[in-house]
Amino acid sequence: MPKVTIDGRTFDAPAGRTIIDIAAQNGIEIPHFCWHPKLTPAGNCRMCLVEVEKMPKLAIACMTTVADGMVVQTASEKVLNARHAVMEFLLINHPLDCPICDEAGECKLQDYAYKYSIGESRFEEDKVHKPKRVELGPNVLLDVERCIMCSRCVRFSDEIAHQPVLTFTQRGTHVVLTTFPDTQLDNRYSMNVIELCPVGALTSRDFRFKARVWEMSSTDSVCTGCARGCNTNVWVRNNEILRLTPRHNEEVNSYWMCDDGRLKTFKHVNAAERLSAPLVRKEGQLMETGWDEAIAKAVSELRLFRKNEIAALGSGFSSNEDNYLLQKFFRETVGTRLVDLVEHVVEGDQDDLLIRADKTPNTTGAREVGVRPGPAGEDLASILQGVRDGSIKALYVLEDDIAADPAVREVLGNLELLIVHAHQRNATTEFADIVFAASTFAERNGTFVNFQRHVQRFRPAVATQEQDRALDGFNMSRWDKFAAHNDRWGRGSRRDARPSWRILAALAVVYGVKYRYQTAEDVFREITERVPTFKGMSYLAVGSRGRTLAAAGTTAPAPVA
Amino acid sequence: MMLPPSHPDQATKWENVILPPTKDLHKIDVYRQGGGYGALKKALAMKPEEVIEEVKRSNLRGRGGACFPTGLKWSFMPKAGTKAKYLCVNGDESEPGTFKDRQIFEFNPHLLIEGTLIACWAMGITAAYIYIRGEYGKWIRMLERALEDAYSNRLVGENILDSGFTTQIYIHKGAGAYICGEESSLMNSIEGDRGYPRVKPPFPAQVGLWGCPTTINNVETIANVPVIIERGAAWYAGVGSPKHPGPLLVGVSGHVNQPGVYEMPTGVPLLEIIHKWSGGVPGHKGIKAVIPGGSSTMVLRGEALEGVRMDADSLKAAGSSVGTAGLIVMDEDTDLIAVITRIAKFYYHESCGQCTPCREGTGWLWKLLTRFEAGEARMSDVALLMDVANNIEGNTICALGDAAAWPVQSMLRQFRDEFERRTVDRPDDAPVSA
Repeated sequence: MPKVTIDGRTFDAPAGRTIIDIAAQNGIEIPHFCWHPKLTPAGNCRMCLVEVEKMPKLAIACMTTVADGMVVQTASEKVLNARHAVMEFLLINHPLDCPICDEAGECKLQDYAYKYSIGESRFEEDKVHKPKRVELGPNVLLDVERCIMCSRCVRFSDEIAHQPVLTFTQRGTHVVLTTFPDTQLDNRYSMNVIELCPVGALTSRDFRFKARVWEMSSTDSVCTGCARGCNTNVWVRNNEILRLTPRHNEEVNSYWMCDDGRLKTFKHVNAAERLSAPLVRKEGQLMETGWDEAIAKAVSELRLFRKNEIAALGSGFSSNEDNYLLQKFFRETVGTRLVDLVEHVVEGDQDDLLIRADKTPNTTGAREVGVRPGPAGEDLASILQGVRDGSIKALYVLEDDIAADPAVREVLGNLELLIVHAHQRNATTEFADIVFAASTFAERNGTFVNFQRHVQRFRPAVATQEQDRALDGFNMSRWDKFAAHNDRWGRGSRRDARPSWRILAALAVVYGVKYRYQTAEDVFREITERVPTFKGMSYLAVGSRGRTLAAAGTTAPAPVA
Repeated sequence: MMLPPSHPDQATKWENVILPPTKDLHKIDVYRQGGGYGALKKALAMKPEEVIEEVKRSNLRGRGGACFPTGLKWSFMPKAGTKAKYLCVNGDESEPGTFKDRQIFEFNPHLLIEGTLIACWAMGITAAYIYIRGEYGKWIRMLERALEDAYSNRLVGENILDSGFTTQIYIHKGAGAYICGEESSLMNSIEGDRGYPRVKPPFPAQVGLWGCPTTINNVETIANVPVIIERGAAWYAGVGSPKHPGPLLVGVSGHVNQPGVYEMPTGVPLLEIIHKWSGGVPGHKGIKAVIPGGSSTMVLRGEALEGVRMDADSLKAAGSSVGTAGLIVMDEDTDLIAVITRIAKFYYHESCGQCTPCREGTGWLWKLLTRFEAGEARMSDVALLMDVANNIEGNTICALGDAAAWPVQSMLRQFRDEFERRTVDRPDDAPVSA
């Protein structure tokens, strides 16, 4: 194996690898703007200049391939001078208005200005002025003055999104990033250029100027937009989600996520119409009620039916923990064989990058933990048929608006009892007798299993009424940490919603079964004990990167009631 | 009347071979009557590697500014392989002070076409692009006409001179960017991309035009090739300076009585070029400074010209370079601050904007210099100017950064007093630095 020495430390250097690559892999930071591990190198920012023995000039670490015996200095005087020079050059025309820039706090240029520049500029001339608010596409806006022409966005659009619409025009300091005539940046991954942008040039139309970075907490989570389960960060201020950003996970989504995932999967969490208490139908109207009353009511209603007059539908939108307890409660305690779920597959709406036709984050997991047709083929079709012909009289539905499908909707009226878990009123709750206000993915702990059979954790980022950000170990923003209780930003609305698994556990207790789960992790622990493909897992082991389930063949058959 | 300029008072005797004084030489019949395309015929009878060997032995060095040995460059091209190979002939000629290739387009275009064909034969190339700066409208049309004539005489295209060798030549017009004279930008431009230089390595001989092995030669370099084949490497190597031999087109501009392009052997003293070939300085004024090889080469003080010759080694020893042999003469009354400000403006205007130091630095240099020109600079700006130039030099993707930095650096080194005199805060009694 060839060797390369960087700053006095010697590393293996497989042929064809670059200096920046070997350095990064070994924890040596070489500052850079234009280089990105997933894009072809461009070599234009010159921030990664390093000194290589026997080379007459400084070399760019991003495009200099290692050779056996190469000796590299990343912090020699010559290198530091070049770095200072590049920083000074970058800042002469870049607006120095960080206090009003959306990127401040997460800006590579700002960070490097503190870390790698001498902290002052000798430039006294006029800066070049350029357009400040250019619409590159429906979701992305450009401030041309802030652009440092690193071309990351251009390369992303060409190489990853395969929509080559971005280019530079003009020359020198007058260079302008733009779209080709009659095109716009409107591919389904367009917003990834916002994080790729090392400065505040590219911003999200949805998020820009809503919050400073440090006002928000950032919590590791998983996108619920499809079966990919892109790893995300959920950004919350004042108990409200302001944006989702992709979190790197090479096995799942690399550095990317789609625009639908960013924009369409969290607005319901913040919605003013969120349910904040259980609802029970009284004289034809759904009325808010207390949890104890709703749970007692649900149990007493369910007890009016025979086992096989009751069916339960899990949900691809609910966690493994929720689905597991649903099937456990209905199979073991209620005694029905009728447990399945509604799939949400949009054939054709998929691609080779991330987007999957299955529009739920957890159908694979729900199936895995036992929400699947019974031993005699009791599946969704037979359940719906039973509802239609009146043999099934009571239906219990996890978080899923099943009535959005007209074929389902038309049979729901036949039911004598419909109990649903929901985040807000929807087509299904119109038919419901009891509605439990369920907390969303953003308000609880849990796991999903993506289409690759990858188990992934999500964590609470938004607090419900029963949670406390500090006491319950939430990730905290500066405001969360330092605000007084009467500060304006401490007053975000908190709903009285509960995780579905806890609602189910409460039902079981009233049914007379001792479910001793205190936390979602307790439920998950039982899953790992009872579902062989989960064997050996724990929340700790799943961590922030996820763990893959054991091979499908080892799955036990669905438990028989 | 189509005759290249010549000068009767030349001291060094030279009979033109690149731009011979033949009337209407641009016409194919005239060119052929004088033995034109004879070198091609001779080359086609040789093995390709023999042609390369002959060019190597001639010691021909590139005329585009870098003086790289041409035969050696040709030998970098892979001999075999499944990929196409290309030749790009660089006639972008956009450097201020450089206007020699234009003379070849105008007065001897068939020499260029013949040289292109011989180069293609030597390297096994079946497609060549002659890239001409877009502003050369008249000369583009002239070369197109010459190429049409060569095609219709079956000298280009299929089965050239019944040798079985086939190669095509295409003329590609530039679109007004100096940077496209940089060889990798030139290839991007031909490919239809933005004129951005490529990071090297890989070098064009491995990954060039459309990812294929490519050689890029200057127009004048290629025009020397038929001469080498016709007269032999030994003759050629004996012309002018031994380490940088051959005829050289020297473009003289600035304060001389007869500016123009003169063909001469390499190694002619600069003072002879100025006083004998170009008719001396108007008004018999003294020479304050010269830029010997196009605007990107280092300036020399007028009093330091004694013994300096127009070849790579002599000019290197003098602290500059032969570049494209575009000699700019400035008399004793020249405002050098105005000169360097204008040069800096050129590089600011032409910086492609791809990499940081050149994009930002060229503009900064120009803005600083406009303050010197207006007499509004401070003493501290003198050092700053040097710093900015130093911070560009060597840190950029292509040589344009260096080309922008060198004139400023050398002007500061040679004429620092002129800068200091233009500052607002120089103490009146302060000694002026030399």
